[in-house]
Amino acid sequence: MAEVRGALLKHLRVNTTSLSLLRYPNPTRNGLFTLTVNAIRRSFFDEVMGSFLDKYEVTDRVLCVVKNFQKVDPSKVSPTAHFQKDLGLDSFDTVEAVMALEEEFGFEIPDNEADKISSINYVVEFIASHPQAK
Amino acid sequence: MSGATTAAYLARRAAQQERVRILYRRSLKDTLNWAVHRHLFYQDASDLRKKFEANKHVEDLDTIDKMIAAGEAMYDKWRHPDPYIVPWAPGGSKFTRNPVPPSGIEIVYDYGKEVND
Repeated sequence: MAEVRGALLKHLRVNTTSLSLLRYPNPTRNGLFTLTVNAIRRSFFDEVMGSFLDKYEVTDRVLCVVKNFQKVDPSKVSPTAHFQKDLGLDSFDTVEAVMALEEEFGFEIPDNEADKISSINYVVEFIASHPQAK
Repeated sequence: MSGATTAAYLARRAAQQERVRILYRRSLKDTLNWAVHRHLFYQDASDLRKKFEANKHVEDLDTIDKMIAAGEAMYDKWRHPDPYIVPWAPGGSKFTRNPVPPSGIEIVYDYGKEVND
């Protein structure tokens, strides 16, 4: 659900007016187009280069996954929760939660990084700064 | 057993805990590789968890080291020959399939429009 919203937002951002306006800006046209010129340029390159996910979207999805975990009390889950201190999870449970998050976002976390993950804050920052997170 | 809370003891315990965590993570992924269907995986994962939990209360450092070595040997024995790698991760099938085009290149969608129109 959050992915659909994110995909919709990304789609709406790219203006479908032709890019020839960038090349040959017609001075007799409405001044509105010149304002959107830079926006079109930027969003075109954003689509091509990075696909960093939004932080709010990442937080939403991470919280959804953690809430559906069987051993976690859904009411205690918050964006600043610590896996072992706040949510009362074992270190094995943390490993399982990290695996579930890997599957949700569809990318690999290397072993040494996965060991350091101990709170939801860290997870959100890690995923939001990873270019391959889908 | 005088070194109950010395720094070296704690450091060794921490290193061992890290090894155990990494071993658990790898063996869990391997279990997913072998048992593709999810209901089988859940069964196998809970069995694996029980095996790890049974040895949880050992205190002696050397026994723990031996058990970790035995666990890693068993992991090596059971490694899947064709593990599932996420397609766009290094080693996957879609890795660098569509690389980022070089910068400064733009596609101009003018659909054959002439300049003097």
